[in-house]
Parts: sequence; structure tokens; C-alpha cells
Amino acid sequence: PQANLTTQHIEEVANLPYLGRALCIITGASRGFGRTIAQELSHVVKPGSAFVLVARSGDDLRTLQAELTDSEAGRAGLRVQYVEADLGLPEGLERVTTAAKEVATDLIDHVLLVNNAGSLGDISGFTKSFTDMAEVNSYLSLNVSSFLCLTAQILQAFPQRPGLRRSVVNISSLCALKPFSSWVLYCSGKAARDMIFRVLAEEEPDLRVLNYAPGPLDTDMQLEARSKSGDMLLRKSCNEMFSKGQLLSCEESCGKLMKLLMENTYTSGAHIDFYDI
Amino acid sequence: MCDFSSKTLGRCLCIITGASKGFGRSLAQQVPYILQAGSVVLLVARSGLLLEELKTDLENLTVHLGLVVNCVSADLGTAEGVAKTLEAVRQDAVNDYDHMLLINNAASLGAISQFCSFTDPAQVNAYISFNVSSALALTAGVLQALPQRPGRKRTVVNVSSVFAHKPLPRWVLYCTAKAARDMMFKVLAEEETDLKVLSYSPGPMDTEMQEEIFRQMGVRHELMPCQKSGAKLLNLVLDGDFPSGAHIDFFDL
Repeated sequence: PQANLTTQHIEEVANLPYLGRALCIITGASRGFGRTIAQELSHVVKPGSAFVLVARSGDDLRTLQAELTDSEAGRAGLRVQYVEADLGLPEGLERVTTAAKEVATDLIDHVLLVNNAGSLGDISGFTKSFTDMAEVNSYLSLNVSSFLCLTAQILQAFPQRPGLRRSVVNISSLCALKPFSSWVLYCSGKAARDMIFRVLAEEEPDLRVLNYAPGPLDTDMQLEARSKSGDMLLRKSCNEMFSKGQLLSCEESCGKLMKLLMENTYTSGAHIDFYDI
Repeated sequence: MCDFSSKTLGRCLCIITGASKGFGRSLAQQVPYILQAGSVVLLVARSGLLLEELKTDLENLTVHLGLVVNCVSADLGTAEGVAKTLEAVRQDAVNDYDHMLLINNAASLGAISQFCSFTDPAQVNAYISFNVSSALALTAGVLQALPQRPGRKRTVVNVSSVFAHKPLPRWVLYCTAKAARDMMFKVLAEEETDLKVLSYSPGPMDTEMQEEIFRQMGVRHELMPCQKSGAKLLNLVLDGDFPSGAHIDFFDL
């Protein structure tokens, strides 16, 4: 079934316009969904494009960089830079923006920022256990503040001009809309991020703003969810999804994200879930 | 001001943050009317001076009713401020109460500015620390200090806003914090079934915050006296007739 979906996806997107000569900045690119986004984007951007891959793990980024550089896209001229950085720390953001400015050329006609980096936070306890301000601040710094500030920095660095398309993506979640017991940090962070982008969409009508909820993906984050969730019912349901093969592959969900971006008809600021389309 | 039809929370520990001005101050002036003798009102704000003035203002009323008013001067945007507040809560928690009421009211507007101006993580982190993290850490600490106990009711209020659900250009900080808080309290409501959790959106009131909004936006809404909205909130708390985790706006009722 998975192979069929991939084939279908290729056929569906084959006739869609590519994303241009794009400068793509992808955070949390070293593994999981972010890694897949980088790989899939490389198939739908034109030669002359450039990627900035961001994560904490330099080793994993280098591996991905090599893979992309050696790929068909790479051989056709895709440039791939990486920034090893912890976005929870202020210096991290600056280095990403600097790298993006360095790698951009006048030929770039699309700036695409994919805010994928995120964490679950401590899901083993409940809301009443979070008396440690430092812990809460550290979580929100990575998942909310850096999300807002990186987006603001990139939009400032690449202001609107004729011939330049700008798109910003928030990798969101059902948790942005629905509360889940023992997931207070994650739900609050996702709710915050969705609102940040809704305000942005109101302010900048020429900007393409998307809150994409990818569905339950088969990643390290999902493993954490099913092994550590403090709420036993939630943990059980995560385990059932896993054992029944109901988790989505990153490729499957990413395919839908690519289709959304390429069709480019979504309402700016909307929250779109994998299962909506 | 005192339209509560002799309903009461009984012997209550009532904690109000941002109590020195505006809505918080107004709530501090109204809540004594729904408390029985033996209750404690704990007022939290940065300005110790304003809190002491408020305490003095309330003295005739509270002494007459057999209530104790304690003040904590603390910057809830800091870990130290939250810790200091929780220390005071723990001291007051030793008594027996029928009800615990926590009103998370302290908040700030933040810079009202175009989105692209928010490039400084230090500025955003400071805002979130005060407007989001402190509400979580304080609520968690209060719930730990006054755990679930038979015969004791606990109510937690999040002073929210219509902008928790509605984006407003240039207001990214405020909208984001209110959205995060509403979700935070929804999760809490899912987890703690004995607890009554309410996100209350008070509507536009005659406060310094509204003055600031007018200065920044140049638009003045029709403002109501704080007591009007405060009365609605306290009646909601008294009746307890709402689904825990709900977001209720002044104009809904």
C-alpha cells in the first residue's frame, strides 16, 4: 500500500508547478519529518535553489548534506548548507539567518521557511508538576520564541519584492487544537505557534502562511509519546496506533505537504491536517 | 458591586495575581463579599506599596467579616517571584478551607508592533515568561500546596481574552500568550477532574491596560467598570455551572 501511495503522489505532483528557484530553510532537518521534508523538497525545486538545514546534530546534518549534494538535484546545481545550532539559544537563530543571507543569490524567486524543529517536553507528568520556571521557559524558548523570532528574522532579511514569493510553514499538530492529558507543554506550544502564524497571515496578506498538522508520524517523537506519556490511556492509544500499523510514514505525510505548497491554493493562516485533504 | 445573592465560597483561600491595579484590584475589592470568616485573601503584584494601600483600604471590610488579607510583592516573570509567591501560599495553606480559588490575572500587553520587529528572542522570552510560564508554574505550585481533598473545592481561573482565539495584527505577543494559556488550562481541566477550570474573557474594562491600548491603537472601545465584569466572573465561580476548561466571555452571558 505504501508503494502505491508514493506512485500516486508522484503522478499527482508531476503536473504541478515546481517551487521555483527556492531558498529553503528547514529546521529540525537531521531526522524525522524535517529530514524527509529536505529530501522531498529537493525533488520539487529548480536548479539554482539553495537549502539551509538546521539541527543540533552536526553529524546527521553532514550526512544529509552529502546525500542531497550527491543526488540528482545536487548534481543539477542544488546548493546545501547546514547550521549546527540549538534554536533554544539566541545565538542559534542569528547563525541561521546569516547562513540564509550568505547562500541566497539574486536568482532566488522563492523563500520558503519550514519551521519543523520542536520537542514534546516532559510528558511523563501532568500540568501540576510544572513548578520549575526554568524548565517551562526553556521549552517555550525553543518551541515558541525561536519559532516567532526566526520567522521574523527571515522575513526581515528577505523583504517582499516583485518577483519574490515568500512562504512560511509551521509544522503544527492536532495538539494545537485539542488538549491532551499529560502533554501541557506540547499542546500549549502548538496552540501558541498556530496563533503566531494566524496573526502573521492577518498582517501580511502577500505572504503564504501555513499551519500543517502532519498526522501521527512514525518517528523518534512518536516513540517518545508511546513510551513516556504520563496519561495511561493516551500511552495505550499511541501504542495501539503503532502496533496496528496506523502511523504514517514521513514520506506519506510530506507528500501531502508538498502538494499543498505546489498547488498553493490554501488559505493563508489556515490550519490544515493530513487527514483534512 | 455586591450582587451575589448571599452566595458564598465558604472558608476560602483566594489568590489573586496582578492585584494592585485594574481588574485584579477590583476583584480583590469584590471577593470579600463572597467569603466567610476564616478566609484568607492573598494578593500578588510587583508593587508592594500599592498592595499595602489596597490592604488598608479593605481593612474595615475584611476585619468586620473576619478575613485575613496577605500581600506578596513579587515579579511573576521571574522564577524567584513565583517561588516567593508559592512560599506565601504554602504558609496560608496550613489552614482548613472549604474552597481554594486561584485567579491568574497578572498579565501585560507587550509591544504592539509589526510581526517582523520581533527578532529578539530575549524580548519574546521575557514576555512569555511573565504571561505564560508564570501562570503554569504558579498554578502547578498552588495545586501541589492544596491538593485534592474530600470536602474541599478548588477553582482555577485564567483571565483570558477574545484574542486567545482571534488573531489581531500587531498583537502577536498578546494573542500568542492568551492562546497558549487557554490551551494550558484546557489540558489541566482534562487531567484534574475534581478541579473547576475557567478561562474567563472579561471584555473591555476601564483599566490602565485599556489606556495603553488606546495610546497604541488610537481606538477607544466602550469600556465598562471592572466591577461589572468582576461580578460576572465571581457569579460564575459561585455557581460553578460551566464545563471545566471552558472559555467564557463576558458577552456570552
